[in-house]
Amino acid sequence: MSVPPDRVSSVAERWDRERVLALAPDAPSQRTAQSLASGRAWPATGAGTGALWGECRGSATAPYRAVVDLSGPAYRCTCPSRKFPCKHVLALLLLWVGGAVPEDAAGPPGWAAGWLTARAATAGRAPSGEPEDPQATAPKDPKAAARRAQQRETRVASGLAELDRWLCDQARQGLAASQQAGYGHWDDIAARMVDAQAPGLAERLRALASVPHSGAGWDGRLLEEYALLHLLAVAYRRQGELPPPLRETVRSRIGFSLRQADVLAGGPPVRDHWQVLARRDLEQDRIRARRTWLRGRKTGRDALLLSFAAAGQPLDDSLTVGTDADADLVFYPGAVPLRAVVLAKHDDSHGGPPDGGPVTGLLAGYAAALAADPWLDSWPAVVQVTPARAPAPVVRDADGDALPLHPGAGDCWPLFALSGGRPVTLAGEWAPRGLWPLTAWDEGGRAVPL
Amino acid sequence: MSAWPDLVTASLIGTERAEVPATGVPGLPAPGGAGPGRSVPDDPAAALLDRAALLTVARRGGRPAGHAEPPPAAEPDPAPAASPPAGRRLARILGGEHPDLLAEWLTAAVACDRRVPAHLLPALLDRARRVSPSDPELRRLSAEAGGSRARWLAGLNPAWTFVTAYAGAGQDAWRLGGTSQRRGYLTALRARDPGAARELILQSWEAAGPERVMFLSVMANAALSLADEPLLEAALDDRDAEVRGWAACLLARLPGSALGRRMAKRALGCVRVDAGVLEDHLVMSPPVQWDTAMRRDGLSPRGGGSLQQLDDRTHLLLEILARTPLRTWTREFGRPAEQILGLLSGAWAPVLFTGWSRAAMAQRDQEWMIALINWALAGGPTGARFGAETLRQLARRVDPARCARETAVSRGAEIPAPIRDAISVLRFRYDMLKELQL
Repeated sequence: MSVPPDRVSSVAERWDRERVLALAPDAPSQRTAQSLASGRAWPATGAGTGALWGECRGSATAPYRAVVDLSGPAYRCTCPSRKFPCKHVLALLLLWVGGAVPEDAAGPPGWAAGWLTARAATAGRAPSGEPEDPQATAPKDPKAAARRAQQRETRVASGLAELDRWLCDQARQGLAASQQAGYGHWDDIAARMVDAQAPGLAERLRALASVPHSGAGWDGRLLEEYALLHLLAVAYRRQGELPPPLRETVRSRIGFSLRQADVLAGGPPVRDHWQVLARRDLEQDRIRARRTWLRGRKTGRDALLLSFAAAGQPLDDSLTVGTDADADLVFYPGAVPLRAVVLAKHDDSHGGPPDGGPVTGLLAGYAAALAADPWLDSWPAVVQVTPARAPAPVVRDADGDALPLHPGAGDCWPLFALSGGRPVTLAGEWAPRGLWPLTAWDEGGRAVPL
Repeated sequence: MSAWPDLVTASLIGTERAEVPATGVPGLPAPGGAGPGRSVPDDPAAALLDRAALLTVARRGGRPAGHAEPPPAAEPDPAPAASPPAGRRLARILGGEHPDLLAEWLTAAVACDRRVPAHLLPALLDRARRVSPSDPELRRLSAEAGGSRARWLAGLNPAWTFVTAYAGAGQDAWRLGGTSQRRGYLTALRARDPGAARELILQSWEAAGPERVMFLSVMANAALSLADEPLLEAALDDRDAEVRGWAACLLARLPGSALGRRMAKRALGCVRVDAGVLEDHLVMSPPVQWDTAMRRDGLSPRGGGSLQQLDDRTHLLLEILARTPLRTWTREFGRPAEQILGLLSGAWAPVLFTGWSRAAMAQRDQEWMIALINWALAGGPTGARFGAETLRQLARRVDPARCARETAVSRGAEIPAPIRDAISVLRFRYDMLKELQL
């Protein structure tokens, strides 16, 4: 029987409870997995040769059979759940990190071995786990690459012209009909933008489907989004007249991605003690995105790190909120350079709370940034505020200036509890609808993710 | 900037039927002003979107701050918050890992005068609200461990008002409140002044009716004393079967009770030490009769009391063991718990384990609980029919610092699941109690 080589000991050191729970697609999965992670539900489990397997008693007569290939990690379970990974896989991993899955020298049983062997065979064919991204590797044939780039420009140009016609049609016929339109209304035009190789636009369009059901003021919000997309189409058409940084901003919003090698080669690295302010994870389709906000202690610059992972795969966890990272960052070009990549990390240290400013400072900073990048709708906020209810949740600073909290952030009770009616340092994302609170610092100066 | 609502209205109707309103931003040239490339688009729809884009960015950038009054601040709490590791563990418990250990975390925090870290209070109060009224004790513990910050939060969210019910419940709650308020008042009074609570129960007993069960369940959550015995002994003859059951349970827990002496007499007739050829061993003779005195003491046989089957007699023996004061055995056999458990008992070991474990948990006897769990972790009482659930409960009540946290079951064999679970609970509780001492 051919199974992957023994990697358990090296893998086991890197796994812990938090890492397993971070794989869960949502909070309910985390809870059910934990309640399922008891020996009673698992009559048979085993581990060995870089894999785990187990049979779990469920509501069905036959037990569910879960297998994990730790090297991926990759999972399989016979349960009908559409969540990925399912609660059985998570529970099996939890049992294992808790030391409750015995090593089985006899190797996996037949039902697990078949899948593991097939996985090992696939892994042998494609040794790198990274998907091949044509954009991420240097072109082999510069002429062919130039031709492909030209083809893409043509496609994007015609896609944007189509989008602009669609937007004008909406404005002509009136937005009132949008409330009755189903998701298909936006999915269709989004799919055409995918065909036109403008994935950034496709994502923005798909997100619009929820706007007509987002409560009072939906019409204004939909008009704003349509107007900004129209502005993007016009800006692309006239990109020759734009200053180069703004042109980069327009192209990145449309979905042209830069090769990371070009980014690293393009700008001088900025070394600083970067305070890791806040982190926000978003899930879209089967991709998870993590936004990490940084602020340099010396330079005062804000930076945004983006990382992505497929559903069921762990997100980059190398920076911890509340610490300082001594690192070299390289910024992507743009009218408001925010997005960055870590070129080299030199050291970590425990950082105290950042300096929270007043509300007016945040608004002035956002206004200045908007003047350079009108599409900017997520801006780092670090403020010294007290949460209050007026009656919707707001935060107010010492001058009495107040900002609404983002309606999507819910009741924000942990923020209220932490504050106790006194000012706290709060980091979050400022968006047109309000402030999304992400991290607050308690009386002891410790960062508390909200 | 009244132009924006006009634009929104026009966009809702559509430019086929509506005029595109004129807009402008002070300080900026109007769209369609002079200059190359500034021509107004011919299409009114495009003109509307142009103007909307300009106004969108202008409105976002020019947004003024609102104004809000400062909220009332929470009173400072004299007690410090629990250590960060203890807080992280509480977050894990609230997140679903060993959720049944929540009450122990809170009890231990209250005992060493630590508060729940503030940011975890909303999750805790939500939990306490959801599980209640099945567990009124959890509400009381949450309110106490939450301190002044929890009371402040309760003032903001009506769902959490139960917190203040424990803080300021006065005589009115008792005289005028419903059962849950009366339970809250009585629970708080019993924690503060057991004598006064007993007096109140005695005064209210005759008129209480179905609330008697509530009185007894409140008594069950705190230590009992012999002063409680007369009331409980009388309750053994109550009309209500539920009241009788509670009273028998509580009396079996009460050191020195007459019920305990009656049980001991029955138990000693069933278990004795026999000097064997090589080793002493336990000889078991389960009861063959069941009478009304046994029924009064809360012993109910299966199978209608016929005791024809060995199973039914074994069950009755188990019930007797579970209600017998454990001192009976140490005194009668003249040896400590772990030596008694070391006596050979053959196939009776699982019965003894379950019966004695239930007794040890009811009587809160740590010496016996430690000896019993060490016995189980060493693989002593094997037997799938008994034991697993008992071991589960024992692992949640024994002092984890004083018992083994490893199994002595030989390494070669696969460790049975109940033992694995017990060890993981013991380790979790050991770390949890250590962190709360920090």
